[in-house]
Amino acid sequence: MSLLLLLIVIAPLAAAGTILLTRRAPEALGLVGVFISATAALFTLLTAGGASAALPWLPGMPVLLRADALGLLLAVMVGGTGLLVSVYAVGYMKGERDRVRFFAELAFFIGAMQALVLAGDWVLFLASWELIALASYLLIGFWNERPGVAGAATRAFLTTRAADVGLYLAVFAVYAAGGGTGMDASAAAPSVPGWVGPAMLLAAAGKAAQIPLQGWLMDAMAGPTPVSALLHSATLVAAGVVLLLRGFPLLGPDTLLLVGLVGGVTAVAAGLIAVAQQDLKRMLAASTSSQLGLMFLALGAGAPGAAAFHMLTQAAMKSSLFMGAGIFQHSRSSTSLAALRGAGRDRRLAFAGFAAAGLALSGVPPLAGFWSKDSVTAAALASPHAWALGPLALGGTLLTGVYVAGAIRVLWDGSTGPTERGRDGWMAGALAVGAALSIVLGALRWLLPPLLRVELPESTLAAGSSLAAALLGLSAGWAAPAEWLPPRLAGPARAGLRLGGGWTGLTVLPVLALARRVVRADDAVHRVVLAAGGGGLRAAAAVRGSDSAVHVVVESVGWGFLLSAYRVRDVWERKIDAGVFGLVRATRETGRTARRLQSGLVHREMALAVGGVAVLLLLLAAGLIISA
Amino acid sequence: MLPLVTVTVFLPLVGAVILAMLPRIDPRAAHITGMAASGLTLLASILLWTRGTGRGFSQVEEVQWIPSLGAAYRVGLDGISLPLVVLTAVLFFVSLVFSVKITSQARSYVALFLLLETACLGVFASLDMVLFYVFWEVTLVGMYFIIAGWGHEDRQRAALTFFLYTLLGSLPLLLAILALYLGGEPRTFDMRAVVASPPLSGMAAALTLVALLLAFAVKTPVFPFHTWLPAAHVEAPTAGSVVLAGVLLKLGTYGLVRFALQMTPDALRAAAPWVAAVAVFSAIYGALAALGQTDLKRLVAYTSVNHMGYVVLGVAAAAAAVDQRTSSVAVNGAVLQMVSHGVVTGALFLLVGTIQDRAGTREMAAFGGILRAAPVLGWAFILSAFASLGLPGLAHFPAEFQIFLGTFNVYPLAAAVVLLGIVITAALYLRAIQTSLLGPVAGKSEGMPDLDARELWAIVPLLVLTVLLGLAPGIVLGVIHSAAAVIGHP
Repeated sequence: MSLLLLLIVIAPLAAAGTILLTRRAPEALGLVGVFISATAALFTLLTAGGASAALPWLPGMPVLLRADALGLLLAVMVGGTGLLVSVYAVGYMKGERDRVRFFAELAFFIGAMQALVLAGDWVLFLASWELIALASYLLIGFWNERPGVAGAATRAFLTTRAADVGLYLAVFAVYAAGGGTGMDASAAAPSVPGWVGPAMLLAAAGKAAQIPLQGWLMDAMAGPTPVSALLHSATLVAAGVVLLLRGFPLLGPDTLLLVGLVGGVTAVAAGLIAVAQQDLKRMLAASTSSQLGLMFLALGAGAPGAAAFHMLTQAAMKSSLFMGAGIFQHSRSSTSLAALRGAGRDRRLAFAGFAAAGLALSGVPPLAGFWSKDSVTAAALASPHAWALGPLALGGTLLTGVYVAGAIRVLWDGSTGPTERGRDGWMAGALAVGAALSIVLGALRWLLPPLLRVELPESTLAAGSSLAAALLGLSAGWAAPAEWLPPRLAGPARAGLRLGGGWTGLTVLPVLALARRVVRADDAVHRVVLAAGGGGLRAAAAVRGSDSAVHVVVESVGWGFLLSAYRVRDVWERKIDAGVFGLVRATRETGRTARRLQSGLVHREMALAVGGVAVLLLLLAAGLIISA
Repeated sequence: MLPLVTVTVFLPLVGAVILAMLPRIDPRAAHITGMAASGLTLLASILLWTRGTGRGFSQVEEVQWIPSLGAAYRVGLDGISLPLVVLTAVLFFVSLVFSVKITSQARSYVALFLLLETACLGVFASLDMVLFYVFWEVTLVGMYFIIAGWGHEDRQRAALTFFLYTLLGSLPLLLAILALYLGGEPRTFDMRAVVASPPLSGMAAALTLVALLLAFAVKTPVFPFHTWLPAAHVEAPTAGSVVLAGVLLKLGTYGLVRFALQMTPDALRAAAPWVAAVAVFSAIYGALAALGQTDLKRLVAYTSVNHMGYVVLGVAAAAAAVDQRTSSVAVNGAVLQMVSHGVVTGALFLLVGTIQDRAGTREMAAFGGILRAAPVLGWAFILSAFASLGLPGLAHFPAEFQIFLGTFNVYPLAAAVVLLGIVITAALYLRAIQTSLLGPVAGKSEGMPDLDARELWAIVPLLVLTVLLGLAPGIVLGVIHSAAAVIGHP
């Protein structure tokens, strides 16, 4: 059993390694690895949970894999989405160079994410948390020779790493309070300091692109579309929610309110950003922030089950939307909405899949998103902070309808354009499965409660109001797909609502300025030292009447020996001993010999260095004998 | 039984003596002699590793020298010195492999390296304070001549700065050793005895600690005694930089553990908040200074100030810890960090050296798209850079994680501040990668050849160790832990 558990994590990693070593058939190897992972996860989930595997790592801190119901469910999500995206990528990446690197990195990404969801201790969690950031960095930067791509990758890694400080601190605090790094032990930890919750929230918000750390996610669109499909659904951003699910027992009531507010504000603000976008992929990216905001909101409302539910359905819906977007991108060689006008008419199957996933996302019954959003809204309305969370949840839902309807209309409106003909076999197949899941995953509503032993909040009021919000949004978006936001809001929203210059203006530039200042200060310190040393040299030059700088340099080395020799002697024996004095003179001779080193007779250096050793040894021996 | 520690320490010296006796040897044969000597040393050190250590010192070899003074030739190993001995043997071997292309005065060059190797091994293996000091001083002489003889343009000045600084550091060390000797009852230079029952207390211990801290702060180096480091690195030949960063800096932190932590534990406990504060400042300062660099070698040099700051912080935390668990976590982390830093920074300096050999410059902006032009070189650099910024699965993470964890238990605020260091190091490496490695092939990267066999033989072993230390740190930690578990608290 624990072997099967290991296989979930190891299979994709092994596939990545094999691809890199053999450099052959990267698509097939990647698919096999991810397929094994997904199957093992599903099989373990269906047969039995509770297995675990421990690997030695640090003394007293073994690495634990744990197969609890939530972890396995998430592993199925990661494996399933990963498999769909891998299949899709076979078609999408056809003809690209560096496919070996791409499929290796993709498999590595999936393996690292599996380790994260199955982690049974905080150290493994933290390690895989950082590794998925590396995988995203590499994949976002896959086309790094194109302008702007390298910067986007750097930014994604740096923003999340800055936020990771929160996770490090939280893990340390849990260890200090609970006496271990295991997650079970930490859940029972009697008292962690009050800041642990907010610290976790910081890390989770960075990963899940919540306000104010949302900017990197839109830039990450520079990566290949399968990468977007994966990291916006089941992997990178989802890790933020996984952290809060795992750390839920450690979050106090105040922290929960904070989580809910961050999520709710993000749901609305990122929704606005999405509405203002003129590029399909950037719109979907902002939508991801918004949907994750709804999950945070559910967590803040005290309903981790609803958050998990929406994460599972969002994985299917958002990956399908990106897979559809990638097909349109291939047909029009662009993702800007202007270029995609009418692209849906050329690719009707893809359009159908895209539309189904989109309608599901906006919460149209009986599609998957309706049920999960209903849960989120019900949780918000039932929470003690319903006054804030309720309107924010409904606002997020409304805006989802607006941008989804806008996108669908742009894709359908307008004439069939100049299309690059091609076969979408692999891509369309994956999209079809994803869209089908977006339709039926609402059934999780009945499966989740017994599996996770949670209750999913639901209420008629919530269902009614969220349906009303969705329909209102959809009709508004369909009726007015173009510029309807007031220009004063549309501009900043299109740029991603980066207040105060955003990440760059608030942190990067000040830190770089500080770094330059430190370098200048360091030069000053160094100059002081050199000036002091130079003063000593000039004194030496005056004494010795030296004529060349090289001479002074070598001479001062000799003087250094002399001084230390005197010092050694003074300490051990006050009387000047003739033997020691002779040795000192010999040292001075060595110094003179060293001067000749510059004439090119460098083999003398050897003798000199050995001589130095001998002198020191003899000096010490002499000193010891004398004082004895 | 074969006195394997002694053999390991003096094998390189034998090679140096052989070279000294063959004045007409051609460069090729000199290099082969050097690689043979350091290769055999590496084998011997691996044998030492297989013999292992128990709790406390083992594999001790002792010859009477001056019995009335309690000074003797004593060498031996424990869990702290053994990993450093193996690290030294590895780094000198790859340095000599990398240096094969050097033809100017190859005989002296190789002989100096071998002399330096014996000195470094001697420092780690010495169990007698007099012997320790002798080896300590010899390392200084050897490094001086390597920089002065085979460095770049401004090498004389850099070598002198190095010499002045470290000489300044070694005088207090001598005084401290004498104090430890004079305070003992009975008086002895035997480090085992001094460690077992630290002789000093009160003001004497405090003054001795100050002298020790001064000596090791220069060598480690810690702000504000660090400015010799970038100067020396920029001018030193590539292999010299590898040895300087990989091994010589460890002499300082090793001394910090062996002397300050083990021989004046109470004084260090009292001073721990100050030491920790300086360490945190030094780590952040080093990271910021590295972020401000545009020269790749200076950048790597300054990250050493950052990483060694973590080691000092770990030692301070171990000294201040009130429970055995915390102190052994911190010491584990600090010692492992020394090993990881040697491996990772060694690889980084070798890689920067290969870039400089190809382009004649190390300015980041002079390059673009190295990853496309020379993929093996580029990916090796990325792997090492991510190791250096503390990515899990690579060498620095287990070390830094334990250091921070140990520190947090004692000084939570210091841990919170020093964590900013991992963000800054991430930023500085990603910036370097973005500027020089990513993007379209441009500037000096055009037509850049990829790593050749000589370079691969030198670099690949370090990359393998980088991954191995990250995935299975237990291999080394098992050894370190045997010593760390008995340090600090009765």
